[in-house]
Amino acid sequence: MHLFNENLKLLRDHDPALALRVESARSLDAVQVIVSKDGNPVPRVGSVSLHSTYRPKDEAARAVSEFAVKGGLQNVVYGLGFGYHVAELLNRYYSRSVTVIEPSLELFHAFISAVNLKPFLPRTRFLVAEPTPKIGARFKPENWNILSHLPSVRLSPDYFNRLEQSRKLAGVLKSNSLRILVVNPIYGGSLPTARFCAEALKNLGHHVASVECDKFAEGFLSLDGITRNKENSQILSTVFMNMMGDMTAAKAADFRPDLILALAQAPLTPKAIQKLKVLQVPIAFWFVEDFRTLPYWKDVASSYDHFFTFQQGEFFDQLEAHGAKSVYYLPQACFPDIHRIHDLTPEEKKSYEADLSFMGAAYYNRRKTFPQLLDHDIKIWGTGWELESSLGQRVQNENKRVSSDETVKIYNAAKIHLNLHSSTFHESINPEGDFVNPRTFEIPACCGFQLVDQRSELKDLFRVGEEIITFNSVADLRKKIAYYLEHDEERKTIALNGRTRVLSEHTMEHRMTELLIYIFGDQVEALKQRLADRKEPLDVLIEQAGANTELAKFLEPFRGAPEFSLKTVIAHIAKGEGALTKPETLLLMVNQLVHEGK
Amino acid sequence: MAERILIMSLTRMGDLVQATPLISGMRQKYPDSVITLMVSSDFESFIPNIPDIDNSIVLDIRQFKKREREQDLSWVVIYQYLESFLEEVKAQRFDLVVNLSHSKLSALMILYLGIKKVCGFLCNETGDRMTEHPWMQYFGIEPFNRNYNPFNLVEIFTRSADVRPEDQRIRINVPEEPLSLIAPDLSREAIRDDELVIGIQAGSSIEGRRWPASHFAELADSLADGLNARIVLFGVESEAPIAGEICRLATRSEKIINLTGKTNIPKLIAWVGRCRYLVTNDTGTMHIAAALGTTIVGLFFAHAHPYETGPYSPGHVLFQARISCAPCSYGVQCNNIVCIHKVKPHHLYSMIQAHINAGGWNLTDDMGPLDEVNIYETRYGNDQRLTLKPLTRHPIKLDDVFRWAYSSLWLESLGEYDHCDNSRDEAAMVELMWQDYDCGGIDEIVEPLRYKIEVVKDLIKLSREGTKATTSLIKMLHSRPSSKKMQALGDKISGIDETLNQTGCAHPEIKPVIDLFVKRKENFQGDDVVRLGKDTLRCYEQMRKEFTRLILLLNAAEESFAPGVIDKNQVGFDSINALVPGR
Repeated sequence: MHLFNENLKLLRDHDPALALRVESARSLDAVQVIVSKDGNPVPRVGSVSLHSTYRPKDEAARAVSEFAVKGGLQNVVYGLGFGYHVAELLNRYYSRSVTVIEPSLELFHAFISAVNLKPFLPRTRFLVAEPTPKIGARFKPENWNILSHLPSVRLSPDYFNRLEQSRKLAGVLKSNSLRILVVNPIYGGSLPTARFCAEALKNLGHHVASVECDKFAEGFLSLDGITRNKENSQILSTVFMNMMGDMTAAKAADFRPDLILALAQAPLTPKAIQKLKVLQVPIAFWFVEDFRTLPYWKDVASSYDHFFTFQQGEFFDQLEAHGAKSVYYLPQACFPDIHRIHDLTPEEKKSYEADLSFMGAAYYNRRKTFPQLLDHDIKIWGTGWELESSLGQRVQNENKRVSSDETVKIYNAAKIHLNLHSSTFHESINPEGDFVNPRTFEIPACCGFQLVDQRSELKDLFRVGEEIITFNSVADLRKKIAYYLEHDEERKTIALNGRTRVLSEHTMEHRMTELLIYIFGDQVEALKQRLADRKEPLDVLIEQAGANTELAKFLEPFRGAPEFSLKTVIAHIAKGEGALTKPETLLLMVNQLVHEGK
Repeated sequence: MAERILIMSLTRMGDLVQATPLISGMRQKYPDSVITLMVSSDFESFIPNIPDIDNSIVLDIRQFKKREREQDLSWVVIYQYLESFLEEVKAQRFDLVVNLSHSKLSALMILYLGIKKVCGFLCNETGDRMTEHPWMQYFGIEPFNRNYNPFNLVEIFTRSADVRPEDQRIRINVPEEPLSLIAPDLSREAIRDDELVIGIQAGSSIEGRRWPASHFAELADSLADGLNARIVLFGVESEAPIAGEICRLATRSEKIINLTGKTNIPKLIAWVGRCRYLVTNDTGTMHIAAALGTTIVGLFFAHAHPYETGPYSPGHVLFQARISCAPCSYGVQCNNIVCIHKVKPHHLYSMIQAHINAGGWNLTDDMGPLDEVNIYETRYGNDQRLTLKPLTRHPIKLDDVFRWAYSSLWLESLGEYDHCDNSRDEAAMVELMWQDYDCGGIDEIVEPLRYKIEVVKDLIKLSREGTKATTSLIKMLHSRPSSKKMQALGDKISGIDETLNQTGCAHPEIKPVIDLFVKRKENFQGDDVVRLGKDTLRCYEQMRKEFTRLILLLNAAEESFAPGVIDKNQVGFDSINALVPGR
């Protein structure tokens, strides 16, 4: 027990999130620890010993001697056991670090109960019982140099198989573009997320089309004023939703996606989702809303093929109870194309700089909490604030919508950014708060320093205290405001640490990669076949033109152009300079005929 | 000397017929040349009827329309077809091409073919559409100024090829003994040789241009009742429902022979030739009748405009609504085609009846109010040009004055027009204007006309400023140019052009001159700034001359409207009214 506590102490410094998980895990009864002939502890699960029961260190030395370290690649070990092979690797290559992937938290518990962790640190990163898509998305599997600890792999064949599939998929996605249809919500907080998803997928090289339901927001909201009759209002709303569903189906039929991704509040009814199923592609839903606040998920949970959420635990159970087939935890993220360091002009500085700032809607708990900070230089942006109140005088934008660009300027300006997750009934913080909002990632991406209310998911995403600072009450918040206003350097260091963390693990591109690995990880071969069978419109045209014809040669450079069509070619010709070539002249004629034919 | 001439006429059948004076003129100009006609496959069967051509080429676009409907079309197929088609055309090494369309497609085709001498629109090597001939440039601006256009397309086409329309007539090849082609039909329908046969072409390519079937039915009944005429309905198969509707609505349907969808080109020509009159919308059949000499009672609605596409031969009568929106402007899609209801069946019947009785086109007392109807007769004027003679003698409007002025202005400005003909002198022109229009109650237009004259005077000043600025610019280019001063002059010229443009928008009557100025500038080529400067200078000078001439013409009109003059003119023209048909 003494060794376990010592190790846990070490682990808290090295990887606090893992330390917390180990603390709450129990040692697995099935893991027996026996002593080898040379006196070293060896774990045994069932009848399988994970190391030699004679001389485990010699065995590890032999295994590692056959392993060649390669420059530029990351050393990754599949399976921890009691780490003899890891220790050998660290000894042999003393300047290199190692990532160990171990599927069993219980085994890790047994490991730190029996083996001194100190020699492993700080050069070893332990990824214990992590979902394989998360590993695949965040730790660049294409750069791995793998040492497999075969007894561990044999013990958890499914896990390591999934991991291998994730690696394979990463390779497939790197050299192929999927066609992905993103269904936007009509309005609301998940709309920017939908846009960021689409852009991130494009950045990853996929062809993305968005069903821009948001363009109909004004019409949808106008329905509210049509009638006071509830029944009629419901009919109008249903008709509108059906129209949005049909619009999505029409767009999908045109676009022929490999995946349909709907964001929270996307106007898809179970009937509309059913219509999309004729395309025989996965239909996924990312529900980036609080399941307790917006319960409509119950109506659609069973319709989607994959349900992604940023809440775990109880919500997973409820989803299962409502027939969800496949559920996966996918937290929010930042989008660094937008959320970035921004040099402010003197005018912008004047507008946005403050000791404290908050950007967001005037939820109840915020209206109750922020007046308690009025003795500070606080600026507020967002919607729904009572402008006539004392707090309202600190509202900078007269409740008008704040654009993403302006938000970035705000996050670049203040000394401390407040991030209080919304609640419609708590007086200040929600002690049971679990999920983490986008702001949590966006502020650090802009290198802003934030004070965020305590959330249970936060510890898995950040090193609290080093990369982000939390508060658990208004008194705590006031204390920390006072402290960090006094300590500029500390504040800046934490902001920088936060930025490093979000850029390396919490961007929308990480999330989208993780989502794709989760969806397609167990059907890599089928996906490869689908991609091989699919002929891009340009391939068909080049084939029709004949491989070595002038037209084919002219069209070749358009490979990879998203949504290739004659329009793409004509736009390219229009941008060109100098005399028209023969194919260009002919294509301009074709354009006249095709245009006239319409 | 052109040896191999290509004439591209890729639009409609009527345009093919209207191209015949030009083709004949080319034949006369180049008697030893080989003339090839390029047509769209839709009108391939009409090729044998075009005189003076040696060969033909057919562009088959129709094949793609069908495949497009069946969603079995990739544009690569169109590309491949065009490539092989144009390579075949190229192999014929034409040395002159006449393009009778301003479509971008035809202009690009000419670029591809690389024919050196081009008459009509072409694309330069960077794909910009242009044309050098002043009349073709006019053709480019005409659709946007159609209210002020006094020229038939035949005249524009022929003058574009430097062929005098005065020397040519519209004509088509007619089958030998045409009546023998339709003898069985005539016999079956028991049509006697001396029987009055009147054709009706009730369809037209554009639905909005069609007079209602009910009107045709009413007219057919009147003609059958009043003149004991036999009515023959013409049209293509797709127009059968219209003919069916006419037959259903007519009470004298036994007098109607429905040939819709049943005639090939030779039979159509034979039948139209057999008719004494053809009552028709603006159609290809109308132009066939014009070539054959069958008297046309033409109906021009929506976009159809008798000044542009009226039959190009004398002795026909044409109806058009005289309302502010007629004809529809270019690009307009009218959803309330009121113009078709302004012309009534009894208007046509009365005119035909009077024509049969008197041998000329005269208005009759029983036609009722004609305030909203234009009735024109096609005639050759003293200058041998085909013109539209208004029979209704409406009170003159500002648009009429300007159309009248432009008829003189453009003939002088755009080409080598024979100035010896005194009919173009202002006094004679004014006299003609007074004959065509009722200039008695002109109070309403005198003030606006004076105002427009003042605007044109300002534009003359502006043209001079343009000349001055461009001259300074050219001088500067010859010396050591200071970029700041050059920029200032460039800005000044841009400002002048912008003012011109704005004035054109504010005064549509004056816009044709400004549009033509812009069109000329669009045709500048190359990047030799001195040459471009000189070209610009010529444009300003040309525009100034045109405005100056316009002022002279407008002043002449305005002076003729002066109170004392009005009385004199009124008396004078009253005395010749007896000679004016329709009075």
